[in-house]
Amino acid sequence: MKKVLFILVALFVATATAAFAADPVKIGLMGPMTGSWASEGQEMKQVLDLLCEELNAKGGLMGQKVAVVSEDDGGDPRTASLAAQRLATQGIAAVIGTYGSAVTEATQNIYNEAKIIQVANGSTAIRLTEKGLKYFFRTCPRDDEQAKVAAATIEKLGVKKLAILHDNSTYAKGLAEEAKGLLAGKKGLEIVFFDALTPKEQDYTAILTKMKAAGPDFVFFTGYYGEGGLLLKQKRQMNWNVPFMGGDATNNPDLVKIAGKEAAAGFYFLSPPLPKDLPTQEAKAFLAAFTKKYGNPPNSIYPVLAGDGFRVITHAIAETKSTDPEKLAKYLKTELKEFPGLTGKISFNDKGDRIGEVYKVYKVNAEGQFILEP
Amino acid sequence: MEQFFLQLTNGLAVGGIYALIALGYTMVYGVLKLINFAHSDLFTLGAYLGLTLLTSMALTDRLGPFWGTVLLAFMVMLLIAIVGALLDRVAYRPLRQSPRLSAVVSALGASIFLQNTVMLVYGARFQVYPQGILPSTAIRVMGLDIPMVRLIVLCTSTLMMLALFFFIQKTKTGTAIRAAAIDQGAARLMGIDVNRVILMVFLVGPALGGVAGLLVGLYYGQINFTMGWGYGLKAFTAAILGGIGNIPGAMVGGILLGVIEAMGAAYLSIAWKDAIAFCVLILILIFRPTGLLGERVAEKV
Amino acid sequence: MTNQRTIITISLANVVFASLPFFLNTYWVDVLNSIGIYSILALSLNLIVGHAGLFNLGHAAFYAIGAYTAAILNTGYGIPILALLPACGFTAGVFAVLIARPIIHLRGDYLCIVTIGVGEIVRIALINDVFGVTGGANGIFGIARPSLFGFSVRSPQHFFYYIWTFAGITVCLFHLLENSRFGRALNYLREDEVAAEGSGVDTAHYKLAAFVVGAVWAGMAGNIYASKMTIISPESFTFWESVLMFAIVILGGSGSIPGMLLGAFLIVGLPELFREFANARMLVFGAAMIAMMIFRTQGILPAKQRRYSLPESSGEESGTG
Repeated sequence: MKKVLFILVALFVATATAAFAADPVKIGLMGPMTGSWASEGQEMKQVLDLLCEELNAKGGLMGQKVAVVSEDDGGDPRTASLAAQRLATQGIAAVIGTYGSAVTEATQNIYNEAKIIQVANGSTAIRLTEKGLKYFFRTCPRDDEQAKVAAATIEKLGVKKLAILHDNSTYAKGLAEEAKGLLAGKKGLEIVFFDALTPKEQDYTAILTKMKAAGPDFVFFTGYYGEGGLLLKQKRQMNWNVPFMGGDATNNPDLVKIAGKEAAAGFYFLSPPLPKDLPTQEAKAFLAAFTKKYGNPPNSIYPVLAGDGFRVITHAIAETKSTDPEKLAKYLKTELKEFPGLTGKISFNDKGDRIGEVYKVYKVNAEGQFILEP
Repeated sequence: MEQFFLQLTNGLAVGGIYALIALGYTMVYGVLKLINFAHSDLFTLGAYLGLTLLTSMALTDRLGPFWGTVLLAFMVMLLIAIVGALLDRVAYRPLRQSPRLSAVVSALGASIFLQNTVMLVYGARFQVYPQGILPSTAIRVMGLDIPMVRLIVLCTSTLMMLALFFFIQKTKTGTAIRAAAIDQGAARLMGIDVNRVILMVFLVGPALGGVAGLLVGLYYGQINFTMGWGYGLKAFTAAILGGIGNIPGAMVGGILLGVIEAMGAAYLSIAWKDAIAFCVLILILIFRPTGLLGERVAEKV
Repeated sequence: MTNQRTIITISLANVVFASLPFFLNTYWVDVLNSIGIYSILALSLNLIVGHAGLFNLGHAAFYAIGAYTAAILNTGYGIPILALLPACGFTAGVFAVLIARPIIHLRGDYLCIVTIGVGEIVRIALINDVFGVTGGANGIFGIARPSLFGFSVRSPQHFFYYIWTFAGITVCLFHLLENSRFGRALNYLREDEVAAEGSGVDTAHYKLAAFVVGAVWAGMAGNIYASKMTIISPESFTFWESVLMFAIVILGGSGSIPGMLLGAFLIVGLPELFREFANARMLVFGAAMIAMMIFRTQGILPAKQRRYSLPESSGEESGTG
């Protein structure tokens, strides 16, 4: 027992000290590299690696190289809290991430107590920025922002009987409930169905059959693209022609691949603008570089938002010539205005939320392409 | 009423897949009394290997959708059977003489290993089967819109189960498997090569799981490396429901579980669907402690 | 004499261990905290799996109930989190009595699936915001840190002493329990249920008691977890958590207290050590699990056969009855 303990301790110490060696400005990345959301985390790392390379090619920051230190949060709160502790001990200037709201929340206090700026990229739950944490920011908009756009779109389309379907995840349920709250009591609009599916299953025909029986003329699905694609495909297989709209988690080319072009055509979704639809130089250059390096454009919008987090924070370091969290936080909240991001202009309010109408409505055309709705 | 029949066909199709996977659990359990937690990942692997073979060899283009798929199914079965036998050799055979639960932990380790192997080889993103191999239309039967694929899945799983049933009941090897499941020691005394039986079980069970994976890939079109957990848990539940170790029990349990789920989702709540299924399972086990078709085992004295 | 040496060794190991936070950085201290919580959980599950021989793969349910009891009563009624420790154990225990009564007679693997089912039902209930108090998928946040006599347990270093003190107390209590009449009865019925019944041991009663005590302890571990994280959500209480606890028990050596501690070190600590392997870390972990099981088929530190002066028969190990 003692011997084993001793070896373990020795190992611990060895690994722990090995972390203190290099000199560059370190930016942490916390993302789900394993587990159910591994595809998001691995792409987040790709985006940051690319941006970091580009930055170093331009000379880095304050005359030093920049390095990305990434840790796996496994998509679960306990692993994430350990990942956060580990990053906090590695002398990082700021951390980007992570994806899920509950996972981010488990790490917020750790970074806050360690005085490390955290820029989340996929955590849209409202309460994350309502706690008055000084060093917390996010490049993704909040659920209530998205719900507003969703409600407006649904009204504009003249929907009379609406079905709302979520997947019981923090994000999807939050969005569904916000939208329901905004639309309840509107004249001429009735919510005829509100329920949750179980994510990561493959057969949703039971749910579709039940939903169809409720007779909606429009369905708002707030979950993720994997389930979204299957819903579209299975709805077509059962000869049900009802328009679907998804939240920003359905924004992924894999949705079309899963559903098939015919089934995906006509699908609406909300999303921050895709890099291809932004007229800016930055977005175009990024898209070209990413495609060149990895062979395909980014699949999900969240890794791109992580890229924006990286660009914002490195910009702030360059401008303030410092990695002092106080200065950086102050700069981001008060001085950074309309920063040209990969997903549009970026400014933050006092809570650390991104300002501005970020969401746009997209529709899938017959070719399976994502077309920005006017 | 229309809702009821539609949900019934939903449940039957899903149940058929559960049953195919459940057979793998129950066969291994019957002979070794081991819950092979890695079985669910063999199922995933079947789906992935099927995709690779399908896209790399263009079988359906050369042989037409029907014969192409049949050949594909046999290739997947063969490959997964080999993986299954290897798994047994590496992770379970060294633990034959040790406490039963040690092998369970080894199985859990194997499950983690296989799942992450798939992730590292194929990537973490969803993989998508090519469209249009199975017809994507619905046919009208007595006023109900029933997707063609659902009928195909239902027929295939029934066919596979019948084949297995025949193999177990009528062939010599099948009889040996049944004998070893009842009493290994006695089977050995009767001149049955128990090691061969175990090998057989680890070939046939995974093969069925692999073909179920292929079926899921063809039916739903979308596969991912974590899908095994959900299916595995359900299939294991189905095997227990029917009485673990009992082959017809796994079939009945799988179909029944699929139908219970569909009905629970239809008439109670979708969000509570899995909880409802587990509640029914627990109730059944309270009244029939060894499952629906499980034999009453007298306590050894 | 050997006894004295053991005591010295153990005290020395304790002193070394207690001084670790002074040498390790915060991250490793927090890893040790995680290990500590899982040690407590494994010790509690050991009572059920290792001693009573009940195949329980749903232990996360009791852990969850403890954590949610703490979170609901603390955030809703402002009751100090430390004062809630007994309450958490109590609710988890009551829940265990309710569910275990009708199912305790099931044979090994049937019991296994029922416990999995119970774990899943609890998790689904939490996600669906049962009784409107669990916060659904969001979980509950803003749980207070424990404080004693005005001293608030905040940093990972504080939690290190809090968690491991609790773990230490658990070890002592369970050690006493193991050697009591209760522990002996449990071992008897695990080895041979029929013989135990025949010798007048009320098997159903003892199994139920072991199940409940294990659940109570998991409930208290839930309280500690809730106060450490300050936010809990259903994602922390999945089937996977039950699997981890189970793996610790079997890998460490079912029935052995030092085995539980070592098992927790391996199952929780190894994935952290394997962070160097980046995306492949869980693959390496899976392979390590198989390898450890193959090389130590009885678990790494299996329970020693208790020695009595009478000549003993070689007790055959078997997982369940």
